[in-house]
Amino acid sequence: MIYSWKKIVKHGLPLLSLTLIIEIFAGQILQGKQESIILLPIILISFPVINSVAGNIGSVLGARLASGLHVGYISLDFKDKEMHNNFYISLLIGFITYFVLSIVIYLLAILGNLTEDIALINFIAIFVITGVLLICVVSIVSVLTAFISFKKGLDPDDMVAPIVTTIGDLMGIVFLFFILGIFGVGI
Amino acid sequence: MYAREMVKQSLPLFIFCGLGAIVTGSTLGLMIDLLQEIPGLIVAIPAIIAIRGNISTAFGSRLGSAYHLGLIDQDNLWNEELKENIIGSIILSFLVAIIIGLFAYASSVILNVYPNPLKLITIILIAGIISALILTSMTIGIIYLVFKRGFDPDNVTGPALATFGDIITMLCIFASALLVEAIL
Repeated sequence: MIYSWKKIVKHGLPLLSLTLIIEIFAGQILQGKQESIILLPIILISFPVINSVAGNIGSVLGARLASGLHVGYISLDFKDKEMHNNFYISLLIGFITYFVLSIVIYLLAILGNLTEDIALINFIAIFVITGVLLICVVSIVSVLTAFISFKKGLDPDDMVAPIVTTIGDLMGIVFLFFILGIFGVGI
Repeated sequence: MYAREMVKQSLPLFIFCGLGAIVTGSTLGLMIDLLQEIPGLIVAIPAIIAIRGNISTAFGSRLGSAYHLGLIDQDNLWNEELKENIIGSIILSFLVAIIIGLFAYASSVILNVYPNPLKLITIILIAGIISALILTSMTIGIIYLVFKRGFDPDNVTGPALATFGDIITMLCIFASALLVEAIL
């Protein structure tokens, strides 16, 4: 048997504690921006979507790298072609996914009468730019985490998902308010 | 090499998961009044959702590697390896819910927002434990289906768990906040 609950808790707790401190930091940004959110409730619908897509793509990339490293078809080399392919495909998938979802959210927001203060084109632009920026960060973090943890003899499966989603969540909220600011929306 | 295969297996799932996240976001949107009435709650929400997702996806990711290493498969799913993973996930969820409550309260106080600590921690604990129980059962269901369909668990479990996890966790937070707001 290679897994034991004590080991899972012992390995998991420190990283999760660190994670939740960063997440609470992200939560404090939301609390601080509460006025923008009340003004533009579409933000409240969007940020879980932006964060979860980036988290998913980063985690799948990480899980693929982890399996590749475990089995041996990916080598511990930043020039590894297999790893590069995985990286670029993540970017492509991210772009398409954000584009499609931004339209769905906007349509929903029209139904909920939440679109008075933002035009479709602006919303798509804000959403996709935030998303692609985030995917870049998340994919780089994913590769670094998988490689470093594997090199240090830690199981990348335990490390990648928490690190990627946490950094993704914080940066997602930061990028979203940053891009909203550039477009002059919700302030 | 298998770029097309990867896009084919992943893209529909990512979009589907994104639609799930829209459900999560819309639920959060419906909570806008509750968020104003319970200061500190919005601070804890990203943490609760993320931790729930982290525990589930790490679980799914470990099962993916266990599958690649040949430790579990369709005919040998319910074994000791899986049980240890389940117990570990549930204990982690409980511990982490308490820590989130304390940190959300303390950090708010530092920033001059004064939540009701009893209310806040109770909401987080109830939401955390109920969502952990629901999600652990669901994880096993998803793993079973993934095997049955012959997919590579690495491409599927993470996003599927994270998405269903987020919706269920969000609904648990909503319900728990309504409940605690009504009682306390």
